[in-house]
Amino acid sequence: MRIVCPFCGERELGEFTYLGDAKPQRPAPDAGEDAVYDYVYLRDNIAGVMGEHWYHGGGCRTWLKVTRNTLTHEISAVEPAAGAGAGQVVK
Amino acid sequence: MADFFWNVRSPLDRALVAGPYGAQGDAGVTLTEVRNFDLVQVMARRGKADETAKAAQARFGVAAPETPKAVAAADATLIWSGPDQFLVLSKGGRYTVESLAPIFAGSASLSDQSHARALISVSGNKARAMLAKLSSIDLHPDVFTVGAGAATSMDHTSITLWRGGDRNGEAVFNLLVFATFAESLWHTMLDSAAEYGVTVSHSEDLA
Repeated sequence: MRIVCPFCGERELGEFTYLGDAKPQRPAPDAGEDAVYDYVYLRDNIAGVMGEHWYHGGGCRTWLKVTRNTLTHEISAVEPAAGAGAGQVVK
Repeated sequence: MADFFWNVRSPLDRALVAGPYGAQGDAGVTLTEVRNFDLVQVMARRGKADETAKAAQARFGVAAPETPKAVAAADATLIWSGPDQFLVLSKGGRYTVESLAPIFAGSASLSDQSHARALISVSGNKARAMLAKLSSIDLHPDVFTVGAGAATSMDHTSITLWRGGDRNGEAVFNLLVFATFAESLWHTMLDSAAEYGVTVSHSEDLA
């Protein structure tokens, strides 16, 4: 499997580290224990297209959001994760 | 009270044995460690990429790299190391954290990497063949041209790779590796190059 890093180009899998599902969002501080438990521990086991976080640690050291089909390994999109390339983000 | 003093020495001080290595005859690979360089990491702060680029252009007279490549300025080489960041490589204290700080004040964060990296230069007519065993980057002359660069891995070790100016008509590949990984990668490179014959040396001159 190869991933096309938006900054480096196409690279082998060995340069990347897998984090997991990119969907869970940190709950609000007052969201309660169940929401935190869900965020920390509970994961969907998706057979199909999934948004994932990958880290290009063997390259540009940027977090990426990869859209991958877990059945076929087909990658349909790769984009910088939130905060990556932060110098460009004008807020 | 005991006197303490730091001895500055290369991370390859023990591993590097100058002279011929591997196959006899004309060496196909030249491995040179470049010592005593100044290396500063420049990272644009949030939303400050444009300001950082302008400051770099004003100081170095060239645009800092925004894609994987190395840009030669008059007295430094600017090497892309990731989005919104680059390395300033120079000699003789020309660019240090102290001298760059006022230039990038408020726009970028600086970090001295001078003694945190080893700089290895690979050349010779078998340089590509030797590197091809270690790298998945396409180093074909039409693709990896002079000034091309990559943040990549060799032998599971993160490196910054770029092609310097040709020397005697032959390509020169430079790589920066973390100091503590340098010895390991050096041995791997020696093994990879041995069949072609190697000339090993160290130098004070940037390629």
